[in-house]
Amino acid sequence: GFSEKKLVGNLASMSTSERIKAIQKMPENMKKKREIRNKVLKEITKKSRHRGTRLPWCTQCLQEAVVSFRRFGNSLSEYFHLLWFWHKTLKIIGAEFGTSVLSYFIFLKWLLTFNIFSFLINFGFIAIPQFFAGEPNNLSFTGLELITGAGYFQQTVLYYGFYTNATISKPENGPPYNMQLAYIFTVGIYFVICFLILSFSTAKSFCRNFINPHTYSGNASKLLCTWDFNITNEKAVKLKQKSLSTQIKEDLAEVNQEVLNFSITERVVRGVIHLVSWVASVGTAVVACAGVYFLSVNNLELFMKGHKNDLESQAAMLVLPFVTSLLNALIPSFYSWLGHLERFQNPGQQIYVTIVRNVILKISIIGILCYYWLNVVAASDSECWETLVGQDVYRFVLVGFIFSLLGSLFGEFLRRIIGSRVCVSLGLPEFDIGRNVLDLIYAQTLTWIGILFSPLLPAIQMISFSIMFYVKKVSLMMNCQPPRKVWRTAQMTTSFMFLLFFPSLVGALCVIGVTVWRLKPSEQCGPFRGLPSMYAVVSEWVKILENYTAAKWVVWIYHNLITSELFFFILSALVLILTYLYWQIIEGRKTVTKLLRKQIIN
Amino acid sequence: MGNKQTIFTPEQLDAYQDCTFFTRKEILRLFYRYRDLAPQLVPLDYTGKPDVTLPYELIGSMPELKDNPFRQRIAEVFSEGGDGNMTLDDFLDMFSVLSEMAPRDLKAYYAFKIYDFNNDDYICKSDLEKTVNKLTRNELTPEEVSLVCEKVIYEADADNDGKLSLEDFQHMIIRAPDFL
Repeated sequence: GFSEKKLVGNLASMSTSERIKAIQKMPENMKKKREIRNKVLKEITKKSRHRGTRLPWCTQCLQEAVVSFRRFGNSLSEYFHLLWFWHKTLKIIGAEFGTSVLSYFIFLKWLLTFNIFSFLINFGFIAIPQFFAGEPNNLSFTGLELITGAGYFQQTVLYYGFYTNATISKPENGPPYNMQLAYIFTVGIYFVICFLILSFSTAKSFCRNFINPHTYSGNASKLLCTWDFNITNEKAVKLKQKSLSTQIKEDLAEVNQEVLNFSITERVVRGVIHLVSWVASVGTAVVACAGVYFLSVNNLELFMKGHKNDLESQAAMLVLPFVTSLLNALIPSFYSWLGHLERFQNPGQQIYVTIVRNVILKISIIGILCYYWLNVVAASDSECWETLVGQDVYRFVLVGFIFSLLGSLFGEFLRRIIGSRVCVSLGLPEFDIGRNVLDLIYAQTLTWIGILFSPLLPAIQMISFSIMFYVKKVSLMMNCQPPRKVWRTAQMTTSFMFLLFFPSLVGALCVIGVTVWRLKPSEQCGPFRGLPSMYAVVSEWVKILENYTAAKWVVWIYHNLITSELFFFILSALVLILTYLYWQIIEGRKTVTKLLRKQIIN
Repeated sequence: MGNKQTIFTPEQLDAYQDCTFFTRKEILRLFYRYRDLAPQLVPLDYTGKPDVTLPYELIGSMPELKDNPFRQRIAEVFSEGGDGNMTLDDFLDMFSVLSEMAPRDLKAYYAFKIYDFNNDDYICKSDLEKTVNKLTRNELTPEEVSLVCEKVIYEADADNDGKLSLEDFQHMIIRAPDFL
């Protein structure tokens, strides 16, 4: 009819890729779409024949070129499927266990890409030039270095201390390569890129998933929008159905319970229980931090006293990471138990409170470690404190990885054996998404802190994440059952991304910032030896640039934008004003929506 | 695997590529899946546009669909005659919309049609009751089902006509980020 003619005309006037997308998105069946497509193509040839007298070959060629390019791009993307590594595995996990468990594995893959990127640029810009200027390694290699990170590895590109502070110009007559600038700029640019990527992803995710949170808890969306069509496993489907019916029953029962008011004594008792649990959890965190601090100071003394490379002192170096990882593994279980004791109003609250407590614990432990590294180790009179810190971080990452694997073993494998043979009422274990994601964030925070001191640390993390993916996947398939509780995946994913951005990346940036600006690099090793601070490299470089007229704009940017306080003040004020304006616009739109709704009803 | 396939003419393949979200390889793979359901019914040469329809029982036995509580409705929505028997076109259409490359509003449109059991372009109370029963495996009592349906209509019905139209449904989907 007439509307169809209009549609065909619209489609014919779009560009090729837009037209194809529009046809794909049409909610018609294939026959109709083919008809419309043929009509549109006829219309286009008619138009081009019309215009053909003016531009005979240009537009025709261009159109055909665009179409064949798109076909080529399609076939090329089929071959690039190899790069979508783990795509099939992720699909299987999603089918068997649902999207909530899948979100953990997608998060893991995302963190892995950060590490791959970091490794590539560090290796390319820092490690490879160092190979040209490296000194030979006189230490012997015993297998123990893989765990302790000391010994042979001390004189390799793995650690800060090995890098030269000279300007490398091999091969001869090649362009000079300033290792100092390369080091600081590579690390700096990597963090800037990470910051931008994370902040944009978090903002986009937040925008998509958190608008109007109060309408989400409605029954309508719970019923019609939460069915996970990805699941194809029969058992998982049955479980989902059971959980949905249980939830609906609970919701209906809650309607009656809302009328029930808690008496004053009940409320006081509940409040006291919550207070006691919070005191207990924060107290445990404080005690853990104190223990870690004393152990670490002790560790340093032991290290400084005996500089032997024998088995005993190597083992002693592993005690601190071992104890820290043990605390990180046991205390969250204690928090889960506390969460079960307190009777929360709804299970969502319990999950959030437990996650908040775990985050507090992990932040305090990392905070104490950073304090130890930056204040105690840096101020000690060791030969090369940056390498010491790098080695410590290496050990922490490695021991943390081993504990993660063991956690899978004990948490899931043993629990399944217990649940299926010994005590059948317990049932099979479920995959603990929150805890595993927080472990990932903890490991990534350590890696980010350690990049400055050990540029190839992301390679270690890459390997550990890859192995962890396979181990967790196998453990999941073998031991776990699909989750029973409804887990709001989209909101949780946003929260995890936000946690990765705010305490994790921002914290790592603060640590790096303090190191670069305030700490004095060691005198005898590393690319910044002898300078008052690592940042001094940049200020000296700018001073040199002042002599070149071609680079005056760089100098201007440096003096007026980066080092001037006025600029940052103006920038912050602008950001605050914009935020306030956006907030007011949103409030205004909410009022308009309410008014329009009333009008529709009436 | 080169360009030498003889199942479809190049124009047919181009048309499929333009109308679905699939690439050439995926279309051929889906054709083989379709054929594997009934090798004796489906010819290897589609250049003559043969009129082959597979009955619903075969479609519903596919591993992707066999445990889905809505498989019958899905087959009915995508089949030409509304009876669940699908041609190759319908088959490709169905998987195109269910794939991860389809945009959300397209999926919302088809989800609405799937939940609309009596095909009257509105999700009325009886449609909702059938949906709830399928989602919970008949575990709720009829009173509970009725109560839930009333609550859903009360929440989502914007123009107060006692049933959900496509706009109500799409409006709800926009604000529910977990919709898949």
